[in-house]
Amino acid sequence: MKVLIIEDEKTLAFEMEKFLRKAFYLCDLSHSYKQGVEKLEMNQYDYVLIDLGLPDGDGFDLLIKAKKSNPDAAYIILTARGKLEDRVAGLDMGADDYLAKPFFLPELHSRMQAIARRKFKVTEELIPLGNFNIDLQKRFVFFGEEQIELSRKEFDLLSYLLLHKNRVLTRIQLSEHIWGNFVDDDYDSNYIDAHIKNIRKKLNIYAPTEWLETVRGVGYRIKK
Amino acid sequence: MKLSTKLTLFITGSKLAIVGLFILLFPFLIAQIASNYTNFSLRNQQKKVIQNINSKGIDTYLEGEESYGSYTMLKDEYIALETAAPNLRLDTIRDTRRIVDQDTLAYRVLSFTFTQNKKNYLLEIGKTTASINLYNDALQRFALYVLIILIALSIVIDLVFTRQLIKPLGQIIKLRLANTRFPFKKKQVYIKTSTQDFKYLDHSLISLMDQINEAFEKEREFTANASHEFMTPISILQNKMENLLTEESASETVQEHIVDMMKTLERLKKISRSLLLISRIENEQFSKHEQVVPEKLFDEIVEEIGHRLEEKNIRIDVALKHYKTLDRMNHDLLFQLFYNLINNAIKFNKENGYIQITDSIEGNLYLIAVTDSGQGIKAEEIPHIFDRFKKTGHAENAGYGLGLAIVKSIGSYLKLTIKVSSTEQEGTSFVIGFNNNI
Repeated sequence: MKVLIIEDEKTLAFEMEKFLRKAFYLCDLSHSYKQGVEKLEMNQYDYVLIDLGLPDGDGFDLLIKAKKSNPDAAYIILTARGKLEDRVAGLDMGADDYLAKPFFLPELHSRMQAIARRKFKVTEELIPLGNFNIDLQKRFVFFGEEQIELSRKEFDLLSYLLLHKNRVLTRIQLSEHIWGNFVDDDYDSNYIDAHIKNIRKKLNIYAPTEWLETVRGVGYRIKK
Repeated sequence: MKLSTKLTLFITGSKLAIVGLFILLFPFLIAQIASNYTNFSLRNQQKKVIQNINSKGIDTYLEGEESYGSYTMLKDEYIALETAAPNLRLDTIRDTRRIVDQDTLAYRVLSFTFTQNKKNYLLEIGKTTASINLYNDALQRFALYVLIILIALSIVIDLVFTRQLIKPLGQIIKLRLANTRFPFKKKQVYIKTSTQDFKYLDHSLISLMDQINEAFEKEREFTANASHEFMTPISILQNKMENLLTEESASETVQEHIVDMMKTLERLKKISRSLLLISRIENEQFSKHEQVVPEKLFDEIVEEIGHRLEEKNIRIDVALKHYKTLDRMNHDLLFQLFYNLINNAIKFNKENGYIQITDSIEGNLYLIAVTDSGQGIKAEEIPHIFDRFKKTGHAENAGYGLGLAIVKSIGSYLKLTIKVSSTEQEGTSFVIGFNNNI
């Protein structure tokens, strides 16, 4: 999968590239509107990540241009402006998703995966996880034929860890995914622990959950 | 009291005082004038008689006799001329009594002696004192009527004029002070007046309003820009740390350090986001045209915050009984407002405490109260709890002190009333009032 990252903040672009490369994406970087247009004319991409605040041109403008040369790509708008109108305008102009900076890299990755599922109509079968099977689309956890009730947040947490299997996710990364980036006055929430405890409790009735690891001092990981 | 009322009262009062004074003094003045006039006319008559005597001789009157006397039909006036003792010298006007044809009457009498043909004569001209004051009453009454008409006319003129004169002041008060709410968004137009003072006042007020607007605008811009500018460096740091965390070379200790740094960065991020949210609210970047059903809203909040309640075993009781739909609201902002209040109610609550959500109607306000059984707020701290970065109360996780600042800016943006009452060690109640939603 080829990704074009159009971001004028070079360090940021580089960090995104580093992360996505590990997840086996091929990344191209451009640091300006002009460069972005050139790259888009020359290559075909699966994903285009556009920063709205480019120094030499309007990001929305670039989106419209890009959609002409790369009609099949998935577009994600990145912005530090975080304005509601930007989000609405971006989605109206045909962007597939929108992320407000700062965002966590696993979040970016999972949004890309979600678009892929939606766009390419990937109807995944049940994903095996230990002795359980997970249906990400219908949001079910099965033990054999039996369906296990998880709360909405518990399922979100489990599927997010599953999408990033073998990667440690910190409590903060998990919190932001589950509670979104809506403004909260707390800085040390251990509520993730409570949810993990509940998930383990509910699943342990059926089978051991040793695949759901606690990484001391860091966070959690699903090992497969 | 309004200036126009004061002026009206003053003008009317002062004129009435003048009229009163005039009425009191009038009889004396009229009497004085009548008396002076009488003296003057007596002297005139004396002059005429003496002229007659000088030109025609004394016998014109005496006709050979010793004395001469004449009086009008009703004895109002008389004149007498007679020989007098040779050394008598008189030239007086005085009030005295005279017997005229058997009637004793009070007269004002001019007595004057003169020598004619080597003989001393006494001329007396008299006028009854009653006749002197004969026209006083009528004159007084007439003058009074004229005076009242004039005064009434001048009061009316004064009032109309002063009203016209201070009209710009009323406009200034109405336009600049009474009907304006900060921030002053409407373009201000100078009031038309030729009075220098009002012009000065109006211009000064407008320039003050502009200055306030400008200062506020700058602060707003600064908050928005600063928190926005923080986002890019925070992004870079955050993503760098994330990548660092996944480096295989990173030992467990290093990983733990990175997570600690991420936590600190998270704090910075949340502060910036909170400030950005406040500035976005102040910049009116949220729609105000949504309908919100409180029951649903609290269901959502309780679902979102439920795990925190469980942790402290706090019971939440949503007992809304009015089944309202709130118009012209913003769902996300109201969510944030009540989320912050309930979050505080949990944070500052005791183990096994409770939170109550109740509603009521008071006048044209629909009220929703969030009441907790927490540690309460000291009375002297209540006025400051909505200030940014103000931390009061004690909790393990007190936050940054922006939660209530957000509540306040949402409240003023959505035009809600917010009231706080609290008893230390018993609990706190926040009451949010929605107008025009009855």
